[in-house]
Amino acid sequence: MAKVPRNFRLLEELEKGEKGIGDGSCSYGLEDGDDIMMSNWNGTIIGPGHTVHENRIYSLKIVCGETYPDSPPSVAFKSRVNLPFVDQTNGTVDPTKLPVLANWTRNNSIETILVEIRREMATFNNRKLPQPPEGSFF
Amino acid sequence: MSLPKRIVKETERLVADPAPGITASPHDDNMRYFDVTISGPGGSPFEGGVFKLELFLPEEYPMSPPKVRFLTKIYHPNIDKLGRICLDILKDKWSPALQIRTVLLSIQALLSSPNPDDPLAADVAKHYKEDLKGATQVSKDWTNKYAVETA
Repeated sequence: MAKVPRNFRLLEELEKGEKGIGDGSCSYGLEDGDDIMMSNWNGTIIGPGHTVHENRIYSLKIVCGETYPDSPPSVAFKSRVNLPFVDQTNGTVDPTKLPVLANWTRNNSIETILVEIRREMATFNNRKLPQPPEGSFF
Repeated sequence: MSLPKRIVKETERLVADPAPGITASPHDDNMRYFDVTISGPGGSPFEGGVFKLELFLPEEYPMSPPKVRFLTKIYHPNIDKLGRICLDILKDKWSPALQIRTVLLSIQALLSSPNPDDPLAADVAKHYKEDLKGATQVSKDWTNKYAVETA
């Protein structure tokens, strides 16, 4: 199979993100539309229903390095959230504690990361964790 | 990973007999991924500039067109901020009879004849339509600022 280079892969992701994905519970886009290297992205997750996260809007920052998608991006929450894989001092997602990052493959994408994080929010262990006030930031 | 004969042939010819003002060389680790340069055509506001592009031949090539974008910033109504190019042969007018060479020559021709009636960068197109002289000057300024190697 042809190996899609980083920049063309990110252009595909951008176009998919601009069209809107799934039911709108996760979305993403470039932080700066002038960023020709397409490194810095914003992500948004709407908290899953029937959990403490219901109706909360979480903002994240995703940075795709030069070796993306061979290596995963770095991911951090901007919105305060209490989850076992999120550093409570600065919002950084610990890649060793989130399976989609720990077991990264080229088939994953910014979208799959956001969808997986949202799924984690709804797991039995995480759905009732006490949360910081809504709308607060790291 | 084996490379289709057609791509091997096209690459050989691109390297051995390049079109004037155009270079294309494949990456060692991905022979479907090319570093490209296009010199701004004489008489256009891009004259004197050397523009870097990247080109990728998807799995379906030549049944699907190559993917191409500018890496050098350029003020042109059919090229957006991320270097994406609005050109019919890269989309619905693609034919497998076309080649990498013809695509790059068409992009070079697009630099000579901007088409503000089919814009990708709406703000640049508006500028081109309302103030051709001023817009052309900005294109020249950007060429000097971003596409001219300073020694």
